[in-house]
Amino acid sequence: MTLDAENWEILQQLFELAEETPEGDRERVLAMRCADPALVQRALRIFRRANEDTAPPESPKENSPPARFGPYTLLRLVGSGGIGSVYLAERIMGGTPQRSALKVLSPHAAGPSFVERFHREQHILSSLDHLNITRMLDAGLSDSGEPYLVMEYVEGEHFDVFCDSRKLGVRERLQLFLQVCDAVAYAHRNLIVHLDLKPSNILVSDQGTVKLLDFGTSKLVQADSQLTTTVLATPAYASPEQLRNEPVTTSCDVYSLGAILFELLSGWHTTDSAAVVFERALSGREPEPLQNAVTAAAAEARGMSEIHLRQLLSGDLATITAKCMRALPSERYASVDALSDDIGRYLSNRAVLARPQTALYRISKFVSRNRGSMIATVVFTIALLTSIAYAGWRQEQALIAGQRALRMQTFMYSLFRLANSNFTGKPAATVSEFLKLGTKLLPQYIRDPADLRQAQMSLAESMFENGDLDGAQVVFAQTIASAKTARDLQSEAESEAFAGNIAYQQGQMEQGADLTAHALELSRRPGMPAAIKVRAAMYYAVNRDNAGFRTDENVKLLEYAAKEAQDEHLPPHEAADALYNLASDLELRGLIDKSLPLYQQALDIYNRDPSELCDQSQVYGDFAYAYQMKDDLKSALPLFQRSYDGYLACSGPDSRGALVAGDYLAGALIKMGRAPEALKLLEPELAPWRKIAGSSPDLAEVLFFLTEAYVDTGRFSEGEKTARELISVQEGKIAATDRRIGASHMMLARALAGENRIREALPHSEIADKILANGAVSPGAKAMSSEAHQLLIDLQSKDPNRFMVNKIVK
Amino acid sequence: MDPGEHAGDVTVLLRDWTAGKPGALDELFDLVYPQLRRIAGALFRGERQENMLQPTGVVNELFLKLIRQRSLRFEDREHFYSLSARLMRRVLLDQVRHQSRKKRDGDLNIPLTEELAWIGSKPIEAIDLDRALAELETMDPRKCRMVELRFFLGFTADETAELLSLSKATVDRELRFVRGWLHERLAPDEV
Repeated sequence: MTLDAENWEILQQLFELAEETPEGDRERVLAMRCADPALVQRALRIFRRANEDTAPPESPKENSPPARFGPYTLLRLVGSGGIGSVYLAERIMGGTPQRSALKVLSPHAAGPSFVERFHREQHILSSLDHLNITRMLDAGLSDSGEPYLVMEYVEGEHFDVFCDSRKLGVRERLQLFLQVCDAVAYAHRNLIVHLDLKPSNILVSDQGTVKLLDFGTSKLVQADSQLTTTVLATPAYASPEQLRNEPVTTSCDVYSLGAILFELLSGWHTTDSAAVVFERALSGREPEPLQNAVTAAAAEARGMSEIHLRQLLSGDLATITAKCMRALPSERYASVDALSDDIGRYLSNRAVLARPQTALYRISKFVSRNRGSMIATVVFTIALLTSIAYAGWRQEQALIAGQRALRMQTFMYSLFRLANSNFTGKPAATVSEFLKLGTKLLPQYIRDPADLRQAQMSLAESMFENGDLDGAQVVFAQTIASAKTARDLQSEAESEAFAGNIAYQQGQMEQGADLTAHALELSRRPGMPAAIKVRAAMYYAVNRDNAGFRTDENVKLLEYAAKEAQDEHLPPHEAADALYNLASDLELRGLIDKSLPLYQQALDIYNRDPSELCDQSQVYGDFAYAYQMKDDLKSALPLFQRSYDGYLACSGPDSRGALVAGDYLAGALIKMGRAPEALKLLEPELAPWRKIAGSSPDLAEVLFFLTEAYVDTGRFSEGEKTARELISVQEGKIAATDRRIGASHMMLARALAGENRIREALPHSEIADKILANGAVSPGAKAMSSEAHQLLIDLQSKDPNRFMVNKIVK
Repeated sequence: MDPGEHAGDVTVLLRDWTAGKPGALDELFDLVYPQLRRIAGALFRGERQENMLQPTGVVNELFLKLIRQRSLRFEDREHFYSLSARLMRRVLLDQVRHQSRKKRDGDLNIPLTEELAWIGSKPIEAIDLDRALAELETMDPRKCRMVELRFFLGFTADETAELLSLSKATVDRELRFVRGWLHERLAPDEV
């Protein structure tokens, strides 16, 4: 507006004048300053507009959620944040409605990394059982496949609101705060760092019980995500190292607890923008002394005068909050327990201690030396080290044996669950590295041989689960030896079962047979835990079957394992595993109809525990394959698809699991006449397959399906190329009469025939016909056999020199 | 383009830009804009949430990234934030244009601070706002900078004052004026 541009200065002056003048005089005074009435009017309008109230921003519209999740009816939205929304939900149990909080992923948060975090929260919650932590009641998948969590519904107020509305004094606030510390310390002992502690994540019930909420918001952060800790944590309560995106430790929670305590005591709440908070984090500045932050309003809310509150906060309490909120983690309290102890000392009027740095200091040293690796791994390693160090430190405190055993158990259980690529979604190699590190460090911290053996076995089992067979085998050899010396039959049986299973997988059949047989025998001794009995029976039977000794005893053992796992309420994962082993064994024997309901049962268990996504995907794959064996492709295809999708989410597109599942999905598509879709799946798989398999026969599957898809889509020369490679990776490595070799030759013959090179195709077709004629049992194999023969007849009829060729071949 | 490949460039270009070197701003945009876009991706897909991806958070994240990549010096933060405010304006406008092509009259939540909530609830208003700011820029660049920092990046008056080396009182006063002017300029009072 040119008018404004020309009169910019005078408009501003008039505006400032208007601000300084009372309303009645305003127009008159402005007119005295400026002779142009239009300008005066404009300045007045700008002045009026500047003082208009702003409308509150529109809150984003909530997508109305489906009213039901499984057996739960949603009543209303109670909050949303982090990655999910929380609803008040109701379930009718025995005629009476029970209320609970149901958490679902926000619609925008779909995607593997969010789903993974959601599952992680579920995992974490299910392993926590503490009065001051919201309890998980149930979990499941909705009909449309969305995961949800059901937690106890806590009616209460946010921590700060609770305290202020009741005008609680300093001591009462501290007593409530100790409940928070207790919950956080418990979580730390379970390897869980909360990382988003703040008053709004802490509820206090009317009875004064503290409940810690929201364990899913900012736990282990994806290294590849743009959403790093920086944006996920709440800046006002986050430690500087979190804001700087550096590795996080339990010390972050100590800092956050300090920030909460600071606010709780002084009433000071940051009005700084995130920018200022970030800058403080960068510069390493520490907050002002507690007593200086006191305001009159805060004093009133605590029922005392400002001066009194200032005095009260200036001594030990200022020391305590300052020690929590040190810029350097190593200078903070070494643990939440140490913080609690000091608060306890204050409350009982003893002098607070400034404790020397212990285990955590060593850890932060360690971590700073190894900063290069992926954030998630580091977070992870810290979780492990913290807890090992913690256990070690506790050991030094000479805890009584019972307590120690309990702690060990908790520790190992957590470790076992956490150190699993299923759970972290990280490449197994990284996890294995971490586990190896664990086995090296264990002896330094755990001195009791029995405890050490337990710890080593758990680590080795995790290594095995993550595909590090060699590493696991080394550790199992140690535990077998140490168990024998100590006459610890349980550990011996468990270690031998695993070691035998691994030996089989490494192709050392005799060693595998000996070890699993001995483990089975030991497991039958009285007093053996069900888990060991099940494991020993399974490993013995499955491996013997796979090695060709298909006895009835094996089936009986697997049936026993499946039943025992369920009767003895072994963890869901182990029960599902036992069912799956029985199912796939029956399938192997051609008893497909018997296997189908067992697969379904295993899947039902996994659906209740969706975090075991990789294993679940494997069951889906085998389940689908069983249907395919029955020639029921319509049932098989969606199951193959679920298997494939599951692997994509749990281990990524380049993982072996996803590649194999992709191959089978493609195979089913080809059989259903959808070769172009199959090609889209298969072509991008070739490069990652080569990386994994080199030129071993493992490459055969993808090459076979690729050839078939090329041939079916008329791309014969590409099909010929892949078929020749297919034969070359198999030749000399599997038996010449193996049906797979027959199938490969048939593919090459079809490709060559497509290129109209009938004479070259014929010999391959003959080899295929000869091999595939023998030993066809399943409908699929029979179909392939007749296909091979049909091809031969077709080719011979097309070949002008058929009689001559026959003669030569004979 | 990855600023990592151009260690130091951002710092140099920021200097050039503040010294008024022609073309420096465009180069800076090219260098930093893709990163900002990536960081802000979720923000512009309408996934705005409490504690997540406020514009300030986005820009701070970028700032930290650049510092870590050593392509920016901490001392350059005034210039950096001024630049970011402009970038944010551009990002928002791009987003709005994109959205308004897709659905002409649909409501769109544009992430400005609450103080500017009366502007920008519709794409057309956001584009008008940009025009008005362009006009302001020619008349009074300093006030335009102020608006960008305060309203597009969500800096407090104190921070805005510090970044522009002004007193808070000046910032407050000038912002009151410019707020009235913008409001009047965008939706003229009928009275």
